[in-house]
Amino acid sequence: MEERKLHSVMAEFTDVNSLMAAAERVRDAGFRKWDCHTPFPVHGLDDAMGVKMTRLPWIVLAMGLTGCGLGLLLQWWTNAYDYPYIISGKPVWAIPANIPITFEVTVLFSAFTAFFAMWIMNDLPRWFSPLSRKKNFARATDDRFFVVIEAADPQFDGVRTAEFLNGLGAASVEEVEMPDEPTRLPARYRHLLFTLAMAMLVPLAMIYNAQHKTSTEPRVHLVKDMDKQARFRPQGETLAGLFADGRMSRPRIEGTVGRGMLREDEGLETGMEGGEYVTAVPSALQVDEDFVRRGQERFGIYCAPCHGFTGKGDGLVHQRALQLAAEGNAQWVQPTDLSSALVVDQADGRLYETIRMGRNTMPAYASAIPVEDRWAIVLYVRALQRAAAQ
Amino acid sequence: MNSLNEAVQDVQAGDLAPRVARIGLVVGVVGLLVGAGFGLTGDAHAKQHFWFAWLVAFAYVLTIGMGTLFFSMIQHLVNAHWSVTVRRLAEITMANLPAICLLGLPLLVPLLDGHGTLWKWAGGGHHGEEAAHGAEVPGGESGAAAEAVEPAAQADPLGVQLAEEEHHEFVEHKRPFLNSGFFIARLIGYFLIWALMARFFFRGSVAQDSASDAAPTLRMKKWSAPAIIVFALTLSFAAFDLLMSLDETWFSTIFGVYIFAGSFVACFAWLVVCAKFLQSRGVMKNAVTREHYHDLGKFMFAFVFFWGYIAFSQFMLIWYANIPEETHWYANRITPAWINWSWLLLIGHFLIPFPGLLSRHVKRRTGVLLFWAIYMLVMHWVDLYWIVMPNLDPQHVNFGVVDVALTLGMVGILVFLTARRASGQALLPVNDPLLPQSLGFKNA
Repeated sequence: MEERKLHSVMAEFTDVNSLMAAAERVRDAGFRKWDCHTPFPVHGLDDAMGVKMTRLPWIVLAMGLTGCGLGLLLQWWTNAYDYPYIISGKPVWAIPANIPITFEVTVLFSAFTAFFAMWIMNDLPRWFSPLSRKKNFARATDDRFFVVIEAADPQFDGVRTAEFLNGLGAASVEEVEMPDEPTRLPARYRHLLFTLAMAMLVPLAMIYNAQHKTSTEPRVHLVKDMDKQARFRPQGETLAGLFADGRMSRPRIEGTVGRGMLREDEGLETGMEGGEYVTAVPSALQVDEDFVRRGQERFGIYCAPCHGFTGKGDGLVHQRALQLAAEGNAQWVQPTDLSSALVVDQADGRLYETIRMGRNTMPAYASAIPVEDRWAIVLYVRALQRAAAQ
Repeated sequence: MNSLNEAVQDVQAGDLAPRVARIGLVVGVVGLLVGAGFGLTGDAHAKQHFWFAWLVAFAYVLTIGMGTLFFSMIQHLVNAHWSVTVRRLAEITMANLPAICLLGLPLLVPLLDGHGTLWKWAGGGHHGEEAAHGAEVPGGESGAAAEAVEPAAQADPLGVQLAEEEHHEFVEHKRPFLNSGFFIARLIGYFLIWALMARFFFRGSVAQDSASDAAPTLRMKKWSAPAIIVFALTLSFAAFDLLMSLDETWFSTIFGVYIFAGSFVACFAWLVVCAKFLQSRGVMKNAVTREHYHDLGKFMFAFVFFWGYIAFSQFMLIWYANIPEETHWYANRITPAWINWSWLLLIGHFLIPFPGLLSRHVKRRTGVLLFWAIYMLVMHWVDLYWIVMPNLDPQHVNFGVVDVALTLGMVGILVFLTARRASGQALLPVNDPLLPQSLGFKNA
């Protein structure tokens, strides 16, 4: 017993009050490397032990502020600096939209810091403690209270410390020896951990590699979502068809017309009659103020983004495209000025056809704008032209 | 058990209570009379302002009372130990809820005068015409085809007021809920329920003082859970009715929670002020310790943040969706006249007290905590003023004597009621089964 070095002296108490009293005496005796072990949190023990206020809150505060700043920086960098992109018409750097993520990152940093810094400051994880060799010590999780003074304390003096603890009313005092075996992790576990750590680098290396070479292989589709799903295409492959004739949908029965597909009034539908553009809004439509207002509203939705609210060809898309073109990122032809002589001279039917079929780089809007609304827009374009002429 | 004997020695307010009650009564009566004198003798606009100011002041004392009611109930629900020493202060405050509710009854005058003086929807016939901010105008339309805009547009520089017919449609849609008869019935319903709850929890707590077992406490514990559910619903709907419906087209489902958050902050601030005041006069010196202040401070801090969280949740969804019938409520508060008040609220109610109350040392220095408590009581008033007043006039902040006088008056009445109830009444639940734990409580 004498050959072995002592780790500590351990005193066992049977109730909280005697533990508190003992802790106060140990504190007043000036010991520094010592601890109490109790089966449950004991309020006031910190004071009795003379434990100083932890510095943890300051660390958490610092890391919380760091997280706050990083959260904001991340969003500013991605949304406003590296890839400015207008979302929902908000400024590219819109603080209110950034608050939730900033808040989350702050909480994340604070919580992780509190958790891990607490572990580090308490020397955790601790794989092994010489105390666990003592059979009695298991009762620290049940119904006994322990005061342990470590040999590392400058005031420690084996026998005298044990006597001191005895004098505090301990039920028993035991010496805790240093273990024979090294407390390091066995070599085979260390090798295993090292191998695992190395293996974890492999996917990272593969990702890095993939980022720096070109490949003709299609990308790896880990989660297929709706990108690749079993479905029938209306005019799909004949062999895999749904019906006996190999088609996916039924052809129109001869001599019938689909609901809403009857197009009798050629001028109304196509803007042309007998190969000529019609020159006025078809008489089937009732032209009044409400009709023009409808045209104004639809124009604002479908046309103004490119042509601008006054039809001058200076909409937001155009302005943005100019910015991109100036940076060399786009080629752009300005949208037509709707009050230019070219458009003023065009027949109403021609304007209508442009909306319906598209022209040059302008796509067809037939699928988005119903027939009546197209004519309403034509009428509103005329109103814009008249306003521009004044 | 020495601490118990010491603690229960000086729990009577003695002759302090009547003195405070007298001061409260004088401030209350003078405040209300001055408010009425300035408000009700002026022109129509001054009269309208008077009723808005009355609502702010009423909401202020009501939310303090409701906060203390919730505080008392939640302590029973969770079987809290720490709070027993300060619970009676909350109970004495909440026991005045029936009387506080009576202060809300004069609001029936502007409700029923047929002009929509306070709640525009209550105006007979065509709504909104008597409203202070003038006629509604069609939303701003651009383009050559747009007709000439009426001169009244200057009342709406942001172009956010709804078109007349749209506005009308919104209000008609809500008519089955927002009509004077149902409104009064609901109001009386809330008041009765709150009075009943306050009475039950106050009497139960007092009965425990002289009971031989824990039966009264256990009975309160049993009823606290259903009572809190009723509390949540009634407070939410009262907030919708009294405050949100000032702008009858606007809606926010989180509004009740928002009012609750402010009310609970005010409750903790009120408790700190009460406890500090009593202790400075030698009452409850051994009962309320630094540890209890620390906990009150923690809750005040937590609910300052909760308030900010809820306020921002409400704002962000509306800001992001950007739908006219929702945004106009905020647009009315970022007008040139109100923008500074909005900043005051954001900075003063959240950004300053958050770091201010963050530190443990602040919460344990009771003098500093008292400063923050008074500060938050002021900020709670700023919050309510910000909720109510832009509905009267989004273009002007008419802060004046009437606002201050009415608020001071109602606070005076609240102090009077509280002090009167405190006289001859133990300020500590002296026989509460959890009192010893509360006295010995220490923060880890």
